Amino acid sequence: MAPVLPLVLPLQPRIRLAQGLWLLSWLLAVVGGLTLLCSGHLLVQLWHLGTFLAPSCPVAALPQVALAASAVALGTGLVGSGASRASLDAAQYPPWRGVLGPLLVAGTAGGGGLLVLALGLALALPGTLDTGLEEGLGTALANYKDTEVPGRCQAKRLLDELQLRHHCCGRHGYKDWFGIQWVSNRYLDPNDQDVVDRIQSNVEGLYLIDGVPFSCCNPHSPRPCLQSQLSDPHAHPLFDPRQPNLNLWAQGCHEVLLGHLQGLASTLGNMLAVTFLLQTLVLLGLRYLQTALEGLGGVIDGEGEAQGYLFPAGLKDMLKTAWLQGGVARRPAPEEAPPEEEPPKEGLPEA
Amino acid sequence: MALLKVKFDQKKRVKLAQGLWLMNWLSVLAGIIIFGLGLFLKIELRKRSDLMDNSESHFVPNSLIGMGVLSCVFNSLAGKICYDALDPAKYAKWKPWLKPYLAVCVLFNTVLFLVALCCFLLRGSLESTLAHGLKNGMKFYRDTDTPGRCFMKKTIDTLQIEFKCCGNNGFRDWFEIQWISNRYLDFSSKEVKDRIKSNVDGRYLVDGVPFSCCNPSSPRPCIQYQLTNNSAHYSYDHQTEELNLWVRGCRAALLSYYSNLMNSVGAVTLLVWLFEVTITIGLRYLHTALEGVANPEDPECESEGWLLEKSIPETWKAFLESVKKLGKGNQVEAEGVDAGQAPEAG
Repeated sequence: MAPVLPLVLPLQPRIRLAQGLWLLSWLLAVVGGLTLLCSGHLLVQLWHLGTFLAPSCPVAALPQVALAASAVALGTGLVGSGASRASLDAAQYPPWRGVLGPLLVAGTAGGGGLLVLALGLALALPGTLDTGLEEGLGTALANYKDTEVPGRCQAKRLLDELQLRHHCCGRHGYKDWFGIQWVSNRYLDPNDQDVVDRIQSNVEGLYLIDGVPFSCCNPHSPRPCLQSQLSDPHAHPLFDPRQPNLNLWAQGCHEVLLGHLQGLASTLGNMLAVTFLLQTLVLLGLRYLQTALEGLGGVIDGEGEAQGYLFPAGLKDMLKTAWLQGGVARRPAPEEAPPEEEPPKEGLPEA
Repeated sequence: MALLKVKFDQKKRVKLAQGLWLMNWLSVLAGIIIFGLGLFLKIELRKRSDLMDNSESHFVPNSLIGMGVLSCVFNSLAGKICYDALDPAKYAKWKPWLKPYLAVCVLFNTVLFLVALCCFLLRGSLESTLAHGLKNGMKFYRDTDTPGRCFMKKTIDTLQIEFKCCGNNGFRDWFEIQWISNRYLDFSSKEVKDRIKSNVDGRYLVDGVPFSCCNPSSPRPCIQYQLTNNSAHYSYDHQTEELNLWVRGCRAALLSYYSNLMNSVGAVTLLVWLFEVTITIGLRYLHTALEGVANPEDPECESEGWLLEKSIPETWKAFLESVKKLGKGNQVEAEGVDAGQAPEAG
């Protein structure tokens, strides 16, 4: 039974490996910390924009998983730096011997699994964001006028603040406001003929106007904002339709928010990929260092050549060993114990 | 009788020197922070300088920047001195410089305290600059075609949206100026002609405000025009309507923002000043303790450290005496020259 991917490690290369691993671990810790901050930032942004994302859309899963994955990466980096530092000092290494094995397993399984999940979520995000924003913004626009309805009374303020901060208007353009009633019925005069005509002109009895709220106005426009009668070219004097229309924000909020959140998510995805790469390297290095030092019996300064490996035996052999050991546990017999101890020992290096 | 005498043995002296070394390097960090705060303040004032007629005083941020740089220089020098103080050979070369250096440190601390005070006192001048600058800014709101002033509309709109304010003291300031450019007025319309004829200067005044004064928290769509005419809008009473527009004036909003900023910067500067005073006192004790080592060959002996050799009134008298002697010294020399010249003339 040959060890998987063995590597001969005499003293000098072992020291070089430990030193390089120490540097790499600190780099992993720094990158893990930055990824932690980035995923925290994304989580805060998604929390702020919560009203405009449909509640059924599980967008918050990505930053939460990324948060956990980067925390594990940070921990791996710190453990790696401690272990590689200790492996250079004979007095400090013994306490690490027992802990390193389980820590490596936890790091690979936990960290690796979480990172792969986070990367998968980062790739799947654009689709879910699109549908979530579509639904959320549609609901927000429909609730704009309901400033008296409990549960929806903040919709107007939040949508106005969104349009002011992100420089956008409507869902895909300012004309979205023409298709919904955004003036509350409480402020409509039932005796005004114009109001009555407008309400009767459509099937649903909505007061539709060709005007937009004030938050769509663009401060860069040289003239005071034109908010009403936007479909009528003769309503406003000296309005030249051939000039680029700076009057209102041209972009729809859907595109702006999608771009903003996708940018954040792609940055996070890139950082997660770098973290994944670094974590793999650190875990591999730690495993080789651990197995090489185990081969020497835990003696750091041993001049003998030790062999580092990934696994003591191939996959089939390991499964057989595990199965046999499981069988021993069910039928404990003293004469079978020593032969069971032979197979793992065979994997040890024969210097 | 010395002021605040403290006995120092070898161990205590070493501990003092080490502690001072650490404090000096922390103080270099504090100097960098002061530099950063001064830079931040300067940038914040620059960002809105066209609302203050470009006439705002940059004295406070400039002095903070200068103090930060000086603090870094002095404290790294003091750190080097404290490091060398542990080695008698290296310390010997610093000995003659230490007394003038301490005098410079005391001067630096005084100036730092004055700068910290200035941070709190600048509010008054800022208030008048802001009032003047905002008034002019609003006058130029409509000049979007005049080169040099074409950005005033955008600046004021973004200011009112960001700081949640309207006008100079309130939204009624907009009723007194013409904020709609003549270019967008239809002079053939009767309404426009009436309004222009209704006042002496021929300005188009409306009881309306720009869109940036609107308050998003209002339950009804924003009412911008005909604000004083209750019958123009359904269920509207301009006397009781509070949520429609921002009620605060931009002068008060900007003033409170800059006051808070300067108060925090002033508080941080005062803390750094206290730290610097502690370092100067520690350095003085180290200086006098090392001077007081009676036998230079025996570094283990005890010595005394003090702040001033004599009590305060005696020190002040001695200082005046030395100043008088300086004056008398010149007098004696002058008499000697005259006496020398007189026989020559005679």
